[in-house]
Amino acid sequence: MTGKSRSCFFLNRRQSTLLFLLVSLVILAGITVAGVLLEEQAAVTDFTRTNLAPGRAFWFGTDWMGRDMFIRTIAGLSLSIRIGVLTAAVSAAAALVLGTAAATLGRRADSVISWCIDLVMGIPHILLVMLISIACGRGFAGVVAGVSLSHWPSLARVIRGEVLQLRNTPYILVAEKLGVSKLQIAGRHMLPHLFPQFLTGLILLFPHAILHEASVTFLGFGLSSEQPAIGVILSESMQYLTTGRWWLALFPGLSLVLVVGLFALLGERVRYLLDPSSVHE
Amino acid sequence: MMKKRLISGLLTVALGAGLLAGCGGSSSSGQEGGDRQDTSSVVVAMGPTSEPEAGFDPAYGWGAGEHVHEPLIQSTLTVTNTDLTIGCDLATEYGASEDGLTWTVKIRDDVSFTDGEPLTAEDVAFTYNTVKEESTVNDFTMLDYAEAVDDTTVLFHMTRAFSIWPYTMAVVGIVPEHAYDSATYGSNPIGSGRYILKQWDRGQQVILEANPDYYGEAPKMKRVTILFMEEDAAFLAAKAGEVDLAYTSATYSDQQVEGYNLASYASVDNRGFNLPAAGATTDQEGRTVGNDFTADVLVRRAINIGVDRQEMIDHVLNGYGSPAYSVCDQLPWYNEASQVEYDPEEAAALLDQAGWTMGEDGVREKDGQKAELHLLYSTGDSVRQALAADFAGQMEELGISCTTEGVGWDTAYDRALADPLLWGWGAHTPMELYNIYHTMEGTGTAQYSPYSNETVDTYMDQALASPDLESSYELWQKAQWDGSAGVTQEGDIPWVWLVNIDHLYWVRDGLQVAEQKVHPHGHGWSVVNNVDQWTWSQSGKD
Repeated sequence: MTGKSRSCFFLNRRQSTLLFLLVSLVILAGITVAGVLLEEQAAVTDFTRTNLAPGRAFWFGTDWMGRDMFIRTIAGLSLSIRIGVLTAAVSAAAALVLGTAAATLGRRADSVISWCIDLVMGIPHILLVMLISIACGRGFAGVVAGVSLSHWPSLARVIRGEVLQLRNTPYILVAEKLGVSKLQIAGRHMLPHLFPQFLTGLILLFPHAILHEASVTFLGFGLSSEQPAIGVILSESMQYLTTGRWWLALFPGLSLVLVVGLFALLGERVRYLLDPSSVHE
Repeated sequence: MMKKRLISGLLTVALGAGLLAGCGGSSSSGQEGGDRQDTSSVVVAMGPTSEPEAGFDPAYGWGAGEHVHEPLIQSTLTVTNTDLTIGCDLATEYGASEDGLTWTVKIRDDVSFTDGEPLTAEDVAFTYNTVKEESTVNDFTMLDYAEAVDDTTVLFHMTRAFSIWPYTMAVVGIVPEHAYDSATYGSNPIGSGRYILKQWDRGQQVILEANPDYYGEAPKMKRVTILFMEEDAAFLAAKAGEVDLAYTSATYSDQQVEGYNLASYASVDNRGFNLPAAGATTDQEGRTVGNDFTADVLVRRAINIGVDRQEMIDHVLNGYGSPAYSVCDQLPWYNEASQVEYDPEEAAALLDQAGWTMGEDGVREKDGQKAELHLLYSTGDSVRQALAADFAGQMEELGISCTTEGVGWDTAYDRALADPLLWGWGAHTPMELYNIYHTMEGTGTAQYSPYSNETVDTYMDQALASPDLESSYELWQKAQWDGSAGVTQEGDIPWVWLVNIDHLYWVRDGLQVAEQKVHPHGHGWSVVNNVDQWTWSQSGKD
């Protein structure tokens, strides 16, 4: 396995993975920054250039209000990524705190938190996102609240399991016998061990968060329709599919898939790098 | 051997001929999409929101409410004519007392419900007393109670004079007292109208069949099938030749459907922005009410003449629309003084006069304050969104910086008290003027947007108190503009009206749709108001 990958470009697996990480990070960061800069331009309407098919001037075509779909798509992806970062961070923090608390604070706390995890996991994600988003008044705040308050349980469960396992390892038991405080054990002895799991989980939350943001907006319970969100773009494009304006759905949809795929691969590769069992491959 | 080969050869030829004939047959029927065997039935596609949720019960919004139309299954006392004056259906004569507090209506004595029972004044009185109690969509507070004097005379005792009562009588379908149960009537209605409800598959279709005992002219269309489908599905259904008439919108107007033509009917389905005519304050409920920028009448006047309505129609509606200058364009109570010419220079001069001078960045300023409008539209409505965007573009040219935001109807009413919202109105009753412009008791401002003018209120109160309908039209017109005060350009202009949206339909070649009344707001049942008079021409093409 290890020998073969050397043949291409004289990079070993680790180096090529690092290169991939770097490139994809640059792409994602580039989209995010470009989207922020283009936000104002994405809202520009010009009724002299409506419904143009993709061409040299407008790579992704224009819509029924003459908005440049390429700029809108970039702005939309940027918005999605930013929402994804925010919600993934909130979710991951909640998962870390709750997962650790469940595993270290005794049986009662564990059963309460486990019950919460089961409860949230028992409700279909999209339904929960919709409900929370509506309760928080839709819009940006609603979507962020909805997505971040519904995505923590799976990661929390993984972390809880990991901590439970760690708690019975000899080095932790020894530390306990030596009288090290619980907080110190959690911070000094457990966190470093949890970190790879946590980071991978965090990155893998992105695609979920982005897709759920897009779908809840697509269904009309998320971002408001003047914002350049991918969900908005896709739901608008549905109206125009029957009249043959395929470019309104195709390119933004493809771009969303690409970004989500990039994040998924990123998470995967980070795991390779951090996981002790595969780090030297 | 030869024989076998001959037979198989013959069979091949026969099969080929059959196939050819089959192809020929189908292609010819495809070409003559309008040529139909059945000339007494019609299939109509409407939007899913046109399906009456509570069924065909006038007490729960059938025919009445926001989207008025003729109830078809039931008879009404009066009807609106094509010019929106009042004609008679069940009523033979009607009139109000001098003080306007009693309406006497005489009805025909030869009408029976489809279950054979005669329709009497008792049924009419029962209907009105029921809708007064039950109706959630219409205001019946002006009615005290209805009373049957004899079999053919009904008295309406009013709580206040209401000269436009005949317009209310035109939308309330008469239900039978002996067969009315509010729980079941909606799905199993008995009426005396032109059609009988034959079948209703919720979420899919309604089938109406002509009432064989109808007292008026017998319906020419014996069977009317209404399908409820989304706009894109309706378009595909027309393309597939499955419907005879399908609603559509400007989005599809540049498409071609073989065997169909695009019919466009004028409407008062208008779109316009409210311009809060008071400075910003906070009310008891904590809502922001009023807008410091639009509080200045000169600003509102500048906006009204600074918007090129025809450009909007060309840009957004693909040309299918007409400029709107009031909430009731071309209706009998419309005042032509509402009409204005597009004049951007005059608009700029008005803004200068108001103290809003052009800044270096192309945005007007006054005392360090930027000229800004935050425009709201109902989210999910692409036409309103595009209208708002086009309006914003035009305002930017005047030096007013604009932002747009899509809002849901759950918050739109409150938000509109402070920021312009793109509304859609247009009903077959002058009451709409009252609802929009008349000061509400208690709050001291109109219902939907901060505005109040005593002169305007007085004209409308007089119009309602007027003993007869004809003379009330003039008072409604004066409420809009009487030469010195009103809601037009020279007056307070608290709303700016933009466009009337033509209602578009794919109509199968050969289907003769009878002359349409000016369509009201709502792109639904209005088109089939006179479906009984529709016909198929003999040849598909003429």
